[in-house]
Amino acid sequence: MERAEDIKSYKPDQPIQDSDVQSGFKYEVAEHVGAEGLMRCLKCGACSGGCPVAAVTDYRPRKVLGDVLLGLKDQVLSSDTLWLCAACFTCEERCIQEVNFTDVVTVLRNMAVREGFAAEGYMEMAKRVIQFGRVSPLTRQVERMRENLNLPPLQEPAIEELRAIMESAGFPEIMEAATRRSKTV
Amino acid sequence: MKMAMAWGCLVPTRRSLIGYEAATRKVLNHLGVETVDIPNETCCAPFWMQSLDFTTSLAMAARNLAKAEEMGLDLLTPCSGCFHSYMRVNHTYENHPEMREKVNDILAKADLRYDGNVESRHVVDFLYKDIGVNAIKESMKIDLGEIEIGLRYGCHMLKPSDLLNIEYSERPRFGDELLEAVGVRCKEYTGRYRCCGGLLRGTQDDVADYILHDRLMDAKNANLDGLVTVCSLCHIQHDMGQKSIKRKFGIEDLEIPVLHFPQLLALGFGYSAEEIGLNLHTVKTDGIVAKIIAGASKGGVKK
Repeated sequence: MERAEDIKSYKPDQPIQDSDVQSGFKYEVAEHVGAEGLMRCLKCGACSGGCPVAAVTDYRPRKVLGDVLLGLKDQVLSSDTLWLCAACFTCEERCIQEVNFTDVVTVLRNMAVREGFAAEGYMEMAKRVIQFGRVSPLTRQVERMRENLNLPPLQEPAIEELRAIMESAGFPEIMEAATRRSKTV
Repeated sequence: MKMAMAWGCLVPTRRSLIGYEAATRKVLNHLGVETVDIPNETCCAPFWMQSLDFTTSLAMAARNLAKAEEMGLDLLTPCSGCFHSYMRVNHTYENHPEMREKVNDILAKADLRYDGNVESRHVVDFLYKDIGVNAIKESMKIDLGEIEIGLRYGCHMLKPSDLLNIEYSERPRFGDELLEAVGVRCKEYTGRYRCCGGLLRGTQDDVADYILHDRLMDAKNANLDGLVTVCSLCHIQHDMGQKSIKRKFGIEDLEIPVLHFPQLLALGFGYSAEEIGLNLHTVKTDGIVAKIIAGASKGGVKK
């Protein structure tokens, strides 16, 4: 990731070769819930135009879409770029083809996680949820502040229920796949 | 009117956010809305969790919805992230019937079931549509007419509008309309509808800082008395994040108070700043509160 003002050229280091392309990748992606709109993409770039991350870095949603449509599976799934979307949904709101890029990102990240590429920060948050039932546990200090505001005591999250749900959904296996490579984003 | 409250993870546990809970409780109570907290609420599994696994996340969100469904109540939340997650469950149920079965198979292991009968609502939309501008206006004790603020709708209350079904997000009006009805001047300024980078906090901190820097400079250049947010992440970014942006980018005179939407209404209803946690925010709110009180003592007190 480079800051927007540091960009010198958009030419890649080397041209894409046939061997880099897995032509079935886009069909594989489009089968998932949320990515049904992928094939409708015209690569018009409205997604990049409204992207808040593209405003400050060289990240471009259109480039991600282009790479997916071309079939650069390994590159897309292993790239840090995939974890740059801030999920503001502006691209989704503006896309005339209803590609729903933010939802495509979710599908791609789900695939990447299973290949062993996951954002470390999000993995840590998931671990906190499994441990505490919520992403941010209550500290003694905030508990006292709640009392001063006459707020009711915060109920303990139903951790056992939540863990049963996560286990039943196969999440522990997904976490394990995600940590198989020690890739940090 | 009775609603099941989902407060989320952040709102009840962060110093600068518990005022959001306090003000929301006071405002709803003041307006005659009965509430019951969702029992033993758990993480709603928002976008970051959906990034790891979408199906698991739907089932996690459906747990709290199932509890609301058991009580026969619709769900109300002040957190835009939670709102987004819960709306996503019903939306997916409607468009992908096979996911409904899948989620219920998962929930069955925890002796739960969710049939999609709970409507999820964001507090600000609820105040506007279900309570109404007039009822809120009539409850006001203090005129808020002295201040000019920047209202940030954030992202996850409105986008994508096909999913959330409140108002098209490019130039929303309902929040402005509500605040203007009680005298607040809402300024239109560059960047007010743009993302704050909140969801990148903790995983892409540098990028989150660059984006937040731009949003804070937008607000600074607009010469506002303060910002008003409707989203926990927007508030964490603009309020808690302001100090580090000041330091990192060497900005001397950056001091923008950031209020939660219901806090403004609660002040107008006559609650004190301390009662609604305004003294707990990272950026001091004394200035904007003093301005409101001064305006009220000049003859703005309505009753």
